[in-house]
Amino acid sequence: MIAVAVLAFAIAPSARAQTVLLEGAAIVPVVGNPIKKGSILIKDGRIAAIGQTVEAPFDAKVIDCGGRTLFPGMVDVHTSRGIDVPNESPPVTPYLNVYDAIDPSQLFYEDSLRDGVTSIHVIHGNDCVIGGMSRVVHPIGMTPEQMTTLPDAAMKLSLSPKGGYDRMLQLATLREAFAKLDEDMKKLAEQRYEARLREEGKDLDVPPEEEQKRGKELIREEDIDEKNRNLLLLTQGRIRAFIYCGNAMDVAPAVRIARSHGFVDQAVLVLGSECFKAVSELKKAGLPVVLDSTLVHIETDPITGEEKETFVPKVISKAGLKFALQRKTGSSLGERYLWFQAARCIREGISRDDALKSITLWPAEMLGLGDRLGSLEVGKEANILVLTGDPLDAQTWVEKVFIQGEQVYERADDIRLRELFSTPAEEAGPSSSTEPVPTTTKADESSEEREMRTPSEDRPRGERRPRGDGPPRRRGPRPPSPSGDKVE
Amino acid sequence: MHSLRNHRSRILTALGCLLMVQASMAAPTRASEATASGGNSSPDSAATRLAIKAPKIITVDARDTIINNGVLLIEDGKIKAVGKASEIVIPEGFKLIEHDGWLLPGLVDAHNHIAGSLADLNDGVYLTNPGLRTLDVVDPRNTNLENALSGGVTTVLLIPGSGNNMSGFGTITKTFGNSTDEMVIRSPGSLKIAQAGNPERYWYGVGRTFMNWNTRYTLEKALKYHKDRTEYEKGGMKDGPAYDITWEDFRGMFERKYPVSVHTQIYQVYMTTITMLRDHFGLDVMTDHSTFDSFKLASFIKERNMIPVVGPRQFHFDGRDRTIHGCAARFWEQGVPKIGINTDAPVIPQEDLNFQATMACWYGMNDEYAAIKGLTRYPAEAMNILSMTGSIEVGKDADITLWTGSPIDPRQSCKMTIVNGRIAYDAKVRRRTR
Repeated sequence: MIAVAVLAFAIAPSARAQTVLLEGAAIVPVVGNPIKKGSILIKDGRIAAIGQTVEAPFDAKVIDCGGRTLFPGMVDVHTSRGIDVPNESPPVTPYLNVYDAIDPSQLFYEDSLRDGVTSIHVIHGNDCVIGGMSRVVHPIGMTPEQMTTLPDAAMKLSLSPKGGYDRMLQLATLREAFAKLDEDMKKLAEQRYEARLREEGKDLDVPPEEEQKRGKELIREEDIDEKNRNLLLLTQGRIRAFIYCGNAMDVAPAVRIARSHGFVDQAVLVLGSECFKAVSELKKAGLPVVLDSTLVHIETDPITGEEKETFVPKVISKAGLKFALQRKTGSSLGERYLWFQAARCIREGISRDDALKSITLWPAEMLGLGDRLGSLEVGKEANILVLTGDPLDAQTWVEKVFIQGEQVYERADDIRLRELFSTPAEEAGPSSSTEPVPTTTKADESSEEREMRTPSEDRPRGERRPRGDGPPRRRGPRPPSPSGDKVE
Repeated sequence: MHSLRNHRSRILTALGCLLMVQASMAAPTRASEATASGGNSSPDSAATRLAIKAPKIITVDARDTIINNGVLLIEDGKIKAVGKASEIVIPEGFKLIEHDGWLLPGLVDAHNHIAGSLADLNDGVYLTNPGLRTLDVVDPRNTNLENALSGGVTTVLLIPGSGNNMSGFGTITKTFGNSTDEMVIRSPGSLKIAQAGNPERYWYGVGRTFMNWNTRYTLEKALKYHKDRTEYEKGGMKDGPAYDITWEDFRGMFERKYPVSVHTQIYQVYMTTITMLRDHFGLDVMTDHSTFDSFKLASFIKERNMIPVVGPRQFHFDGRDRTIHGCAARFWEQGVPKIGINTDAPVIPQEDLNFQATMACWYGMNDEYAAIKGLTRYPAEAMNILSMTGSIEVGKDADITLWTGSPIDPRQSCKMTIVNGRIAYDAKVRRRTR
């Protein structure tokens, strides 16, 4: 069967104002109390109102969401997918930008949308010293510009040795990069100060140190080489830093470097699974952390052979730190879904509130987007999922996705799910159909009961889902497809 | 690395831009043929006044004129007149050629490596070396030029290889002439840029992030040089930048006198070509190759009135959807009005340029006439040389080919090729078979 992609790449969320009322749904807003049955009004791409009853303008498009659950679009806080290659050879590349590698045609974005992830922080991989600038995108659009939520979001640094490096070389290279920046800035300051003196016809009257101090104010934007610019912004605390720490021993130097170069307040630590052992350092630093997708750290005692398992989020949560969960890239298991990761946290005793925040609000905050994304609140961007059930229920599917108020996904139109949701009758072809197509609605139920029940409850696990929406439709132009092919 | 035996069979599958190994493998066979046929001058090449009668003349001029039973007059290397046989009197002193097939303008190949030394296409020292010019390696003795003539190809853009990110400036040449001066139409012809694939193999482990940054960084430096230097020349700047041969050729490009020709393919790479080179830098961009899934950007191409030049690959197999797409056809059906065809010769033998168009049609571009324009007018327009060649119009260079029928039909063949009014190839004297 030829699977034809369904996502309408050309329909990028735009400023085109559309007023939509999502009516009669359970609402899990992440911030504030859940609403059993309520509505959300979307206006100008933002959430205009939320509550049990919502007044909508006469021209609002009303979508009945009875029996559905509304949840904020999930936030992928750190990924190196959706780009050409996660890392390149040169070790210190603060001037590079992931913008140049983002490939909107990759399946990754389509999958993200289907999985309910509407904000993706695309950043270079961990195998670097200073890896370059990142970007927050949503998975809809033909170019990185159209996809952009936040350009130049953060700088990637790594404390764990890059391939072929050891820790001392890694740290020395890092030190050297900052020292060179410092040196370049001093030189610039001197040049600017001396130029000023020349203009005024004066002779040099102060020692270099004083010269550098006075000249610092005189440096202009255009003096700064492109290779230094981003690193300078970082040390001025004007952009965020995502710092990878593969092992517990990397945490302390990471904090030290961030502190000594002026970006500790903007730092987020990306932790390897072993890093929970540095919990006291982490707690003291109080920085938000991104956890490895392998949530359980397993160690074997070399003498007794005894296995010791640690559920990492539990330790981090207990320390009172804000954490964000990651998806496991390229996995076909549950770990590839953010909701699955959050559900595991609940299983291990973390509160539902924190588990939900770790895939929505907290990652948004780590990206400096806490006021725009991550929860269903008035004034926030309308990145809303219409789910068939509770966000952490394994039987739940994403039914509709709104990004910046624009509907960009409809499960019934998702041709990649056609096989999965077709009934046996449909597969056999319309003429040979003898069995009636099952439906989710039972005639003897009251409409109230129907609305409160999620469709998945009707059907034993594993049974094919019925779909009553007619044949899938392709919307918009053919979307791009991936290009893993060899190049000419 | 690659065996000669496999050379042909790989044409439609794994071929890419010029691999030097391949080129040097192909060259010896051509050389032996060439020695047998005896050099690059044919008996009638001295004739300067020609009259050609043909039952069908495809002019591909601006009004798409087709002349049935027409006559074409050539004098001093230019087209003197063209029209119906009943209306044009052949003056005294014109050598008459009675042709019984189609008469077309010479074919134009916009991505090409045959007019020069194949060994000197990439200077393998730096990732970016834009100060170089292929003008320095143009070689009238390259035997591939004879193959070009036998396939009706009269104009080619000789560009450096794609092993570098920016490998230098190309040269537009005719395929016939006894010296470089006779051949060259314009130098620089275009700046050659390659963004992915080949230049990635070239340097140590850089991908598209670095490559795109490098392209942008280099162009910004060049643009600054151009602006400062222009200001200095106008007298507005006291201490202008010193003359720098690395950046000098960029100036005409920023003034849109000649395009940047980008070896580009694959959605993301093609997208970058458009957004960075065309939109950000405002350059005149000619996209050659344009293969793989780049047709998914047809709406972008259309909006910007660009001419994608497609080849050597004419189809794309989409591994995700397991579907086959005709590259030119996909552009065509999405309403891109002008599509060029290229070979990347000698990756595809130069005499097979018309066959590339045949394949474009076979894979779904159901418009033979548009395909003929893709071999002549459109590549000439994309290279900004339409005022000289690429169609049959009075005053243009007399670059003419005589075919037994449509060049899109593989059963037909080229009988005669005329370059600058001189007979460069005559199948009667020296017929090449494919």
